[in-house]
Amino acid sequence: MIPRLRVFHQLVLRPMLREPARTALTVFAVALGVGVVLAIDLAGTAAAGSFHSSMDALAGDADLEVTATGGVPDRVAGILATLPYDLDVRPRIEDFATVVASGRTVPLIGVDLLKGGLDRKYGSLTVADQFQSHDRKGVVWIAAGMGAKKGDRIALVVGERVGEYTVAGMLDGDAILMDIATASRDLGRGDRIDTILVKTPAQPGAEEWARRLQSALPPGVEVRPQGSRTSENRRMLAAFRWNLRVLSYIALVVGAFLIYNTISVSVVRRRPEIGITRALGASRAGVLLVFLAEAAVFGAAGAVAGIALGRAMAVGSVRLISSTVESLYVSSQPAAIEITGASVLLAFTIALVVTVLAALSPALEASRVSPVEAMSRGQREYVAQVHKGRDLMIAAILGAAAALAWHGPPIEGKPIFGYAAAVLLIGCSAFAIPALVSGLSIVSSRLLRALLGVEALLASRSLAASLRRTSVLVGALSTAIAMMTAVGIMVGSFRETVLIWMDNQLKADLYLRPGGRTSADRHPTLDPGLPAQIAALSGVVAVDPFRAYETSYQGLPATFGSGNISVALRFGRARFLSGRNAEDVLPELRGQDAAIVSEPFANKHRVRRGDRIVLPLGDRKVAFRVADVYYDYANERGYVIVDRATMLKYLPDPAASNVAVYLRPGASANTVRGEIERIAAGRKILILSNSNLKADAIKVFDRTFAITYALEAVAVVVAVMGIAGALLALVIDRRREFGLLRFLGASTAQIRKLILVEAGLLGLLANVAGLALGLVLSLLLVFVINKQSFGWTIQFHWPVAVLAGALTVVYAATVLAGLYPARIATRLNPIEVVHEE
Amino acid sequence: MPLLRLENITKDYAGDGEPVRALNAVSLDVEAGEFVALMGKSGCGKSTLLNLAGAMDFPTSGRVLLDGEDTSSLGDAGLTRLRREKVGFVFQSFQLLNTLTVLENVALPLLLSGRRDAGAALEKLRLVGLEDYGARYPHQLSGGQMQRAGIARALVHEPRLLLADEPTGNLDTATGEAVLEVLSRVAKERGAAILMATHSLESAAITDRVVRMRDGRIEGIDRH
Repeated sequence: MIPRLRVFHQLVLRPMLREPARTALTVFAVALGVGVVLAIDLAGTAAAGSFHSSMDALAGDADLEVTATGGVPDRVAGILATLPYDLDVRPRIEDFATVVASGRTVPLIGVDLLKGGLDRKYGSLTVADQFQSHDRKGVVWIAAGMGAKKGDRIALVVGERVGEYTVAGMLDGDAILMDIATASRDLGRGDRIDTILVKTPAQPGAEEWARRLQSALPPGVEVRPQGSRTSENRRMLAAFRWNLRVLSYIALVVGAFLIYNTISVSVVRRRPEIGITRALGASRAGVLLVFLAEAAVFGAAGAVAGIALGRAMAVGSVRLISSTVESLYVSSQPAAIEITGASVLLAFTIALVVTVLAALSPALEASRVSPVEAMSRGQREYVAQVHKGRDLMIAAILGAAAALAWHGPPIEGKPIFGYAAAVLLIGCSAFAIPALVSGLSIVSSRLLRALLGVEALLASRSLAASLRRTSVLVGALSTAIAMMTAVGIMVGSFRETVLIWMDNQLKADLYLRPGGRTSADRHPTLDPGLPAQIAALSGVVAVDPFRAYETSYQGLPATFGSGNISVALRFGRARFLSGRNAEDVLPELRGQDAAIVSEPFANKHRVRRGDRIVLPLGDRKVAFRVADVYYDYANERGYVIVDRATMLKYLPDPAASNVAVYLRPGASANTVRGEIERIAAGRKILILSNSNLKADAIKVFDRTFAITYALEAVAVVVAVMGIAGALLALVIDRRREFGLLRFLGASTAQIRKLILVEAGLLGLLANVAGLALGLVLSLLLVFVINKQSFGWTIQFHWPVAVLAGALTVVYAATVLAGLYPARIATRLNPIEVVHEE
Repeated sequence: MPLLRLENITKDYAGDGEPVRALNAVSLDVEAGEFVALMGKSGCGKSTLLNLAGAMDFPTSGRVLLDGEDTSSLGDAGLTRLRREKVGFVFQSFQLLNTLTVLENVALPLLLSGRRDAGAALEKLRLVGLEDYGARYPHQLSGGQMQRAGIARALVHEPRLLLADEPTGNLDTATGEAVLEVLSRVAKERGAAILMATHSLESAAITDRVVRMRDGRIEGIDRH
């Protein structure tokens, strides 16, 4: 064991420690790659896992959940209670409340305290407390850390009103608990409750119990295993999390290029050493193992650092991811970020697998070195073979395979073929790069010499001479640039599409909604009388009350909404996939069981114009004919929209979730706003102007994609660090040349310029290749991956200024990455390095 | 005033413990057009002397005057200028850049000093008999041809002092003689001084003077 450790130290660790700066750069690059993957995993789990804790807060040990779109009629609890089974029926109201003092929003759960609808594991709430509380309206149980203790008064925004409650006790779960009667009153639920949890006897099993209960209940009421909503949300979030995960691996892919380069450099440098050890009896497998061990050390060190980095980055990402989840999908309450054994295992697995795989090719090459050849030729004369013709052929094959994968369908809502096409395109580009580098350097060396002097000639020749190394570096940086470009174009196009859509869609002058936290799955309502009061104002020409309910279609959450068709026809400019006008489509909804559905809904459920969709509404199931599919970018859950009269027929609650207010020409928005504020005095209502609403929406959009940009930035940082590390290696390998140039009259400034020009050329090549690849990838992202993942049609748009800025920054960073290696090069002692051999 | 004057030169290098003295109280004058050989065993200080003469390094004490300029009084930029204008180097292992053609290698000192004179590089190739090899790369040449290309490069900027460190060390006897013949002819035709470090008595035999060195000192000088 000890001799082996010694060999490991001598052949693996010592060479790494000899160049601490380069080793540190490589380890840091791996660490960043691992850290990003880990951060997205941890933050995704904390943010997306949180709806589980919100919805299921204080759910206890129930087996089934009973739900209905628009709420479960409270008589259903009575039906269940009178069934001849030993059931524990727990009606619940679920919403959110905002603690006024801190502004923090937490789940608000209303349960029937008299019935003891709580599992005992939640906090200090005793049965005695529960009985006592029954007569005490206006009391709540809160979690520690909400800024109040037992006996205190706490101000909460519940529904659209602020109320003062007495803290009756503390809970373990992160939620606020109150009696269901209080919750129903304060939230204006009327005769409906949100869900009923049912604890059934163990036999004959949850499925059979669900069937038995379902048969006793009205058809619109659904009985499902407890946690089904969580599962639905998880399924809905799967594509989002999957896409985020894939993006998080880009930095690691870039890091893999750099490991490949590091090990290749190591193999080239140590050829004589390989020859000697082989001559002294080392086996091919032994040589292979040494280089794989070197990669594994980089991987292990990167994993250790990556865990710490990942934890830190997760803290930064969780809020961003959480707000995206909330805006586009479901209420989210970020959970704590926890490094578990699984996280550590993930970090080490990906780090070791990626580094060892990346090192496999150069390590195999090292193991095939003939001892005699290695010792006689020495390292300098060794030029790694690059087969440009063969590589171009492989590039063509990969390109053709990418073209095939491009047209593949989604698999379980995931664009697997789309991502395969992306990987194939990256591979195609990587194999085409040697020809690009070689071709460009031949064409450009004279031009460069004329433009930038002899240093540029030397730099371009050097890059062409070390084609393999150059190609790997250009490959790494261009992949990062390509992804940055592609995502930049995709997000830019999306943003432009959303802006145009908002201009078409949002025509009202003022928008009202209940105050407090919003999310895609929450639709708190306004006072039912408010729209009529606003419509009566002299400055108002029309109001459109929009009502939304959460529903479920084919096992996925969706939003069921209604609006005033007349107002929509008068002011709206909805665009339809069929190309028909709103004037042709919307009248089809009037008084009919007909709906228009949003594009994400249509794509997710493969619904087309003329299809029928069945939704559970109240206590019945209703079939709607799909009149058309409309473009919509509000959220990814998907909308089913019907005429307001149709909705009221099935769900007779007239309260609106939000109200669009259209002003008379010449009326002052501020005056009308003041009048509305007076009407709504005492209620928590948010009034937004048209421009405020659009600005808020774009803010949400930008926040949503901030994490995407951050991931791209990390990939670019990894690549630039790789360039710095590779230039350092290059300086060390070419020290004799730099020394010689000094003998021949080169100044230190010229040596510095040579390195910086070389870095600049690498950056230029990477920018050219990255931009070309990025353009193709952006088409893939916009028209295949996005479409299959989220179902949105995006108009292609070039965000020229953003791209130009980003590419300039990357280019500058690449050139700056040459500064330290250049400093090292200028400090070399020419006498020593020239006479080394 | 001689072209090169070394005045009581001492050169110490930092060792593990005590400094190592590479040159000890060396004084030497080399006139323009003179061909001088430095002879002695490995480690006697020949290469160190060449480096000091070529403004690649500073003496620990004493003065190096190249064409009247004291190298110790110059900064990095001054030394670079001195090398560009007045010194040419010929190396034992040729030291051609594999990424450049032979013509580009020869032209390199001119390019580094900002001059573009392809004619001068071609003329020097002609001088060493390689006019037909300008478009080739170093690895396409024989050892002798590589060294002749090295000499052409050392001459391309018309230096006053040519410093050659074992120029025939990597060549067979016949090729070595041919290379020395080129060097000797150049010295005479161009009026350049040549200071050549060598182990070879045959090589030293064609020079004007032989400076014998031992342990960092000049042991004696023989004139031919």
